[in-house]
Amino acid sequence: MTTNESYSRDEALRRLNELLAEEMEASIRYLHLSTLVQGIDRLVIQKVLKENHEETIEHAQQVSEKIIQVGGVPQPKINLELTGDKCTGIEALQTALLFEQAALDAYKDFLDTVEGSGDVILEEFARQQVAIESEHVSELQMLLGESSVGSE
Amino acid sequence: MIDWREFDQNPVSHSAAHHLTSIQQLLEEQGYARVSDVARKLGITRGSVSVSLKGLRQRGLVIEDQHKHLGLSEEGHRIARGIHTKRVLFQAFLRESLGLPDELAELDACKVEHLVSDVTAEALALFLERRPADDEARAELAEQVKVLEKSIKEGRVETFPCKEIEDFSSELMRKNELENNTHDDE
Repeated sequence: MTTNESYSRDEALRRLNELLAEEMEASIRYLHLSTLVQGIDRLVIQKVLKENHEETIEHAQQVSEKIIQVGGVPQPKINLELTGDKCTGIEALQTALLFEQAALDAYKDFLDTVEGSGDVILEEFARQQVAIESEHVSELQMLLGESSVGSE
Repeated sequence: MIDWREFDQNPVSHSAAHHLTSIQQLLEEQGYARVSDVARKLGITRGSVSVSLKGLRQRGLVIEDQHKHLGLSEEGHRIARGIHTKRVLFQAFLRESLGLPDELAELDACKVEHLVSDVTAEALALFLERRPADDEARAELAEQVKVLEKSIKEGRVETFPCKEIEDFSSELMRKNELENNTHDDE
């Protein structure tokens, strides 16, 4: 087993708060996108977007719980700029893929931070979230007919 | 009559201005820029950066390679350099000519950097270079600005920022840093 000597509780908390901001912003983005989708796509895509909106809220709650468990306070820095015009279902999913991929990359970095730190709970949480977010990204890619999108 | 609502339709929004200048700064400082680097520099989420960059990529201002490293197109570089130069010129004017504290000068320069016209920025550079002390010098400067405005309107002037103005703004920045360091030492 390797040890992560650069691990610190403050760094873990900082990254958890960044993840919380990613999830909170994503939930609002999903809600916003669901209102922008126009045309026949609206019937199907709006449902997908609303489900994802609810799931990201759950993720935000889970991240908040972890912050409290580590002894911190949830302090996400939200700076959301919602722009855009009406869009097709494909355009909405393409936008969703952008911020889902960003969240996946953030969870991967978080896993790097806590891996080998001895904090088994955080490490397991990070692993689980990387798996879930990877699935989200794959689902969106499948809906868009894409095979894979590399991460950072 | 000025339609202030048009300011929101500026080709480069405040957010876009910060994304472009951040990428340029990161490229200069560390040789590469990723979404996570831009997010950290701007203090926003990676999701926000990714969504903002989508529009800038579509406009051909930002490019991304296969390793997800960000770069600027020629036009993206020009816009970023222009915004940065305008910020430095305004900051110098507010600080040196109006005597505002550096922090406030920087903050207010940041608010206008992406909105002011090239004519105003060129005129400001002339003003800072000459520092007209009397009415005669000010009148002479005003005449030069009129000629400059006409030349820019007719497309006879190199696109902003020209090399001379960029060099001048770098000199202003160095001077400002030097003064700040001197104050810190005191």
